[in-house]
Amino acid sequence: MRPLDTRSPPLVHAVIVALVAATFVADYLTPLGVAVWVFYVTPLALSVKVRTPSTPLLVALAAIVLIGVAAITDPPGMSRSVAITNRAMGSAVIAAVAILVRQLIAARLASEREDWLRRAQTGILEAVQGELVSDQVGERALRMLAEAVDGVVGAFYLATTGQAVLLAGLALDRTRVRETYAPGEGLVGEALRSRAVVAVDGAAEEGFLIDGGVGAVPSRALLVAPLWADGHPVGVIALGSSRRFGDRDRALAERVAESIAVAARTADYRRRLHELLAETQRQAEELQAQQEELRVSNEELEGQGSALRESRTQLEEQQAELEQVNAILEEKATELKRQRDEVEGARRTAERANEHKSEFLANMSHELRTPLNSALILARLLADNRDGNLSEDQIRHAETIYSAGNDLLALINDILDLSKIEAGRVDVEIEDVAPRRLVAQLEPVFEPVARQRSLVFSVEVGPDLPPTVATDGRLLQQILRNLLSNAFKFTHQGAVTLAISRAADGVRFAVRDTGIGVAPEQQRVIFDPFRQADGATSRKYGGTGLGLSISRELARLLGADIELESALGRGSTFSLVIPGVPPAAQRGAPRPDLREPAAREPAALRSRRADGNGAAPARTAAYLPDDRDDRRRPGRLILAVEDDPAFARILYDLVRERDFDCVLAGTAAEGLKLAGEIGPCGILLDVSLPDGSGLSVLEQLKRDGRTRHIPVHVVSVNDFSRTAMELGAVGYALKPVERDEIFKALGRIEDRMSKKARRVLIVEDDERLRESTCALLGGEGVELVPVGTVAGALAELAGSTFDCMVLDLKLPDGSGFDLLERMATDEDYSFPPVIVHTGRDLSRADEDRLRRYSRSIIVKGARSPERLLDEVTLFLHQVESTMPPERQKMLREARSREQAFEGRRILVVEDDVRNIFALTSILEPRGATVEIARNGREALDRLARAPLPELVLMDIMMPEMDGLTAMREIRKRAELHDLPIIALTAKAMRDDHERCLAAGASDYMAKPLDVQRLLSLCRVWLPRSA
Amino acid sequence: MTSDPIDLEIDLLLEAIFRRYQHDFRSYARVSVRRRLQRALVMLGCPNLSALQERVLHEEGAFGEVLSLLTVRVSDLFRDPGFYAALRQMVVPVLATYPSLKVWVAGCASGEEVYSLAILLSEEGLFERTIFYATDIDPSALRSAEAGIFDGARAAAFSRSYQAAGGKGSLSEYYMAAYGGIKFDRRLRKNMVFSDHSLATDQVFAEVHLVTCRNVLMYFDRPLQDRAVGLFADSLVRRGFLAVGPHESLLFSAHRDHFDMVERRFRIYQRLG
Repeated sequence: MRPLDTRSPPLVHAVIVALVAATFVADYLTPLGVAVWVFYVTPLALSVKVRTPSTPLLVALAAIVLIGVAAITDPPGMSRSVAITNRAMGSAVIAAVAILVRQLIAARLASEREDWLRRAQTGILEAVQGELVSDQVGERALRMLAEAVDGVVGAFYLATTGQAVLLAGLALDRTRVRETYAPGEGLVGEALRSRAVVAVDGAAEEGFLIDGGVGAVPSRALLVAPLWADGHPVGVIALGSSRRFGDRDRALAERVAESIAVAARTADYRRRLHELLAETQRQAEELQAQQEELRVSNEELEGQGSALRESRTQLEEQQAELEQVNAILEEKATELKRQRDEVEGARRTAERANEHKSEFLANMSHELRTPLNSALILARLLADNRDGNLSEDQIRHAETIYSAGNDLLALINDILDLSKIEAGRVDVEIEDVAPRRLVAQLEPVFEPVARQRSLVFSVEVGPDLPPTVATDGRLLQQILRNLLSNAFKFTHQGAVTLAISRAADGVRFAVRDTGIGVAPEQQRVIFDPFRQADGATSRKYGGTGLGLSISRELARLLGADIELESALGRGSTFSLVIPGVPPAAQRGAPRPDLREPAAREPAALRSRRADGNGAAPARTAAYLPDDRDDRRRPGRLILAVEDDPAFARILYDLVRERDFDCVLAGTAAEGLKLAGEIGPCGILLDVSLPDGSGLSVLEQLKRDGRTRHIPVHVVSVNDFSRTAMELGAVGYALKPVERDEIFKALGRIEDRMSKKARRVLIVEDDERLRESTCALLGGEGVELVPVGTVAGALAELAGSTFDCMVLDLKLPDGSGFDLLERMATDEDYSFPPVIVHTGRDLSRADEDRLRRYSRSIIVKGARSPERLLDEVTLFLHQVESTMPPERQKMLREARSREQAFEGRRILVVEDDVRNIFALTSILEPRGATVEIARNGREALDRLARAPLPELVLMDIMMPEMDGLTAMREIRKRAELHDLPIIALTAKAMRDDHERCLAAGASDYMAKPLDVQRLLSLCRVWLPRSA
Repeated sequence: MTSDPIDLEIDLLLEAIFRRYQHDFRSYARVSVRRRLQRALVMLGCPNLSALQERVLHEEGAFGEVLSLLTVRVSDLFRDPGFYAALRQMVVPVLATYPSLKVWVAGCASGEEVYSLAILLSEEGLFERTIFYATDIDPSALRSAEAGIFDGARAAAFSRSYQAAGGKGSLSEYYMAAYGGIKFDRRLRKNMVFSDHSLATDQVFAEVHLVTCRNVLMYFDRPLQDRAVGLFADSLVRRGFLAVGPHESLLFSAHRDHFDMVERRFRIYQRLG
C-alpha cells in the first residue's frame, strides 16, 4: 500500500497563471465591451486538476480583480457602466463557478482518501489473516502499517498477559527498547488503558532511533496505536517516522487496530492451544510410560509370585524328603546307640580283662621268675662243671639252657615293665637330675659293648646345658639304656652317639646310630608293643622288641615323647626332650618363646635356688599341694578355682590325667591373683566361693586385658549358665560333674590353645575411647594391646608382631601418618594390616597417602563401631585365609620375571581406589614407580612436569575430565605425541574400543583387569630401556 | 524357535539393533518389549516390525526414537519419599564412616534420582566427599539428566516429596526457576559423572558404596537381572548398599546370598562380607 499522493499534477499551476495572465493581456488590449474576460473561466476550469481546494477560489479572486482593473484601464468601447455591469455579473458567475470547482476538488480528495484507507485496510487485513503465529502477525501488521503511513521503525507489543511484551520489531534495535510495559507506563502502557491513537511530533529523545547502520537519527514523530478487541487491550503498535503523522495515518491506525487485535488474539489463542495440545500429548506419553511401568511391575510381581510358588513346592518336596531322611536317621541313631552301648560294654569288658591281664601278668611273671631263677642258677652251676664230669657237649647244652633262660628272663622283665606301666603301677619320683652325671653312669656300661662290637661310642654335651633337670632319673636312665642297647643292636659298623643339648623347653637327649635304619612306613609301628619292623628282624637280632614301647611309655610318664628320624640304611636318631626346666623360669619372662636362650639360664638357676631354700616369698602359698612350684608341662597349665578341698583334689587329678599342670586356688581373690600371675591356658571356675561369686571373678577376668583371652569353664551347683555364657565363659557344667564333662572342658581349652590368640594393637590417644574400643573388640582368642602414643606403638611393634592394628590419626606425640611412615621405612618394626579409625575429615590427598598403608579407613561416627568390629574381625579371619600365599606367590612371580618394570615410571589415571590399589600392587612389586592422578585434569597437570612417565594407564569414566578428553588433550601437545597410553574401560562394546583409539590411546583393555594380560600389555608398550 | 511372526520379528529386530548399535535388548522382559514396539510402530508410522527394522537399520534418527521408546522413563524427584527417609536413617550413618564415597545410580533416566541423592547427601554433609555415577543406555536421557532441567509444573510435587522424604530445608534452595522450568544448581552437578553404561553388556567400572537401581531390573529377564545384580555385587564394597525398586526383589536372584536385606519396604540390601 503506497502512501496517498498529495502533490498536484505538475505545470497545472503555471498553465493556470499563464491563462489568467493571457486573458488579462487580451482583455487589456481589447476595447471595453469585448467580453474577453469570459476566458477567465478556462483557468478556473483547469483548477479542477489541482489538489488544493482553495486554488479555484484564488483563481476566481484574481480573475475578478483583473476584470475590475481591466474595466478601468481598457480602451473605451461600449458604455463603461454597461461594461462594468457585465463584468460584475461575469465576476459573480466566476465566483459561483469557483465555489463549484472547489467543492468538486474537495469531494474528489475525500473519495481518494477513503479509497486509500480502504485499500490500506484491506492490505493489512489480508496480511494478518491465515494460520499465523503471534509474532508473524505482529511483524506483518507492523510492516504493512509502516508502509501505509510511511513509518520507518516500529514495534509490536502483545498484551494478552496484562502487560505489554515486545513481540516483533521493524528495523528495531531491540537493545534500545524496553521489552515490557505495565499498564499506564509510557505511551505504550497508556495504550492499554485508552483506545485513542496518539501521534506525537518532535520525539527526539524518547522516540525510536532510526538505525541506518552508518548512523542513526532519532525519529521525528511517533504513532502509538492501541489494539483492542471486544473491549480488551490485545496489543500496541508503535511506529516512528522521519515525518509527522497526519490525521489520515491516525485514521488508518484507528481503523485497522481492531482487526489486527483480533488477528493477534487469534494467533495467541492458537499458540496456547498448541501448547495445551503438546502438554496433553506429553502427559499422555507420561501416562503411557507409567502404565507400562505399572504393567511391568505387575508382571515382575507375578513372576516373583510364580517363582515363590515354585520354590514353595520345592520346599514342600524337600520337607517331605527331609522327613523321610529324618526317619532313616532316627533309625540309624537308634542303631548307633545300640552299637555304642555294645561297644561300651565290650570296652568295659576289655578294660576289665586288660586289668586282669596286667595283674595276671604281674603275678605270673613273678611266679615265672621264681622257678626260672632256680633253673638259671642250676644251669650256671652245670655249665661251670665244677665236678668236671660233664662232656664238652653237655657243658655247651647247659650254657645254652642258661642263655635261653636269660633271654626268657629279659622277656619276662620287659613284659612285666610294660604291664606295670599299663596298669599304672610305675611311680614317678621327680628329683634334680644332673644330665652330666647321668651320662657318666651310662658310659661305662656301653663302653665294653662298643669295644666288643668294634663300634665308636661317644657322648656329646651341648653348650648352655642346665646343670640339673627336674625329672625321674631312674626312668630316664632306663629309657636311655633301652635306646642305646637298641642302637648297638642294630649297628654293625660306625658309631653310636649320645647327644645332650638344651632344647626350647628342657633338655634334649638324642641317641644317634649309623645302623640299618628304619623305613618310613615302619617308623610308627616300631613303638607299638608286640610288633616289630618285620618278622625277620626279630629273628636276626633277637630280643623282644618291647624296648621301644617301654621307652615311649616311660617317656610319656616324664612328659616327653620319643621322636625318630631315620632312613633305611642310613642310621637312626631317637630323641626325647625332657621338660625339666622349672616353671618359675617361664613365669618371670614376658613370653614363653624367648629369643635369647642364654638369658634364661641364670633365671632358672636363681629360681631353683629359691626353690631349694623352700621359700618363694613372691608366690601365693597353696592351700592344697599343687604344681605351682613344680611345673612339668610348659605351656600346659590349668588354674582350678574351687573351695571344696575334696573336689579340688579330684579336679587336680583329672587335670593331671589330661597331661596339664594344675594350680589350685580356694578363693576368688586368689583365683584372680593367680590368673594374672601365672597366665594359665585355661581356668576351671567354681561359682560359689567363700569371698565372692565366681561370676564376679569371671567378669573381672574378662575385663582385664591380661586375662581376657583365657578360656574359662564354669562349674557350679546352681544353674547360672546363661549369665556365665553371656559373660564369656566357654562352657558350663553342673555339679555333680562327671569325669567326662571335665575332660570335655579341658578338651575345649586345649582346642583354644591350639588356636593362637590374635593380637591387635590399638593406638588411640583418648583413654575412654581406647577402653571402649578394647571392650568392643575384646573376645575369645583376641589379645588387645592398647597404647596411647606413637612412641608406645613403636615400642610394641618393635618388640612383637600383631595380626592387626587399629590406628587413630591424632596422637599426642605425632600424627598417625608419621607413625605409618616410620613403620614403613624402618625395618625394625613389624607392619600388621592397619585399620585407620579417625575422627577427622580426610582430604583426598590424605586418603591417598593413607591408602598406601591401610586398606580400610573408618571415619568415627554413630555407626563406625559396627564397621570397626566388622573390619577387625575380617582381618583376623583373613590371617588364616588364603590371601597371603597368593600375595606371596605374586611377589615370587615378580622376582622371577624379566626386569621390564624395574625403575619404570608409570602414571595411573584412575579415580577408583580399589583399582588404584590393584594396579599399584601389581606394578610396584615389579619395581615400577607408580604415580596417581585422580582425573584427566590432574593427569594433564602431572604431564606438564618432568620427569615424564614412560607409560600412562588411563581410566575412561572419571569426574571432572574423562579419559577420552584427557587423551585428546595429551595428544595436542607435541612432546607427548608418542607417550604410550593404555586406556582402561568398563565398556565391552566394539565402538568403545575405536573411540579410545580415536581419542589417542595406544592400546585398550577392558575391565575387569586380567593381571597377566595387563602386564604383557605394559611390557609391550613400555619403551625399551636404554 | 517360534511360529508367531511377531515374535520372530521382535527377535530379528532386537538382534539387528544389537549388531548395528550394540544396544542389547534381547534379554529384556519380552512382554514389555512387545508392547513398547507396538507403540513404536504407531509413533513412527510403520505398518509392521519388519518395516520398522528397515528404518532402524538405515536411519540413525529412527533408532534414537526407538531407543527412547524402548526405555521406559518414569521418575520423580524424591520418588517414594519413604525410600529416601529410610536411606537417611539407615544408610547415611554407615556411609558417613567412609572418608570418600561413591554412589552409582544405574539406569538414571533423566536424572531425578541422582539429583535427589545429591540433595540428600548434601544435607547430610557427605556431598563434598561423594562422587555420583549416573549411567543409562539412552544418550538423550543422559543429555537431559546432565542439563538438570525439569518441568516447572512438577516443582510443587517435587517439593512435597522432598518434605516427605525428610528434607531439611526448602527444595527451592537447590534450583532456579525460569521460563516455566527449574534448573538445578551447578554446584550439585560438580561431583556427578554421567556416562553411557549398559547393564547388559558392560563391566564394573568402580568400587562404590551405594548402588541405586530402582525400577530398572523389572524390565529385564532373569538372566539379565542376575547379570546386573552380579555387577552390583562386584562393584560394591563389603557392607555396601544396594537399593532396588519396591516391586523388585533379590529373593530369586542368583546372588541373593551375597546380600542381606536391611529395609524391607523399599528393598535396601547390604552386601555381605
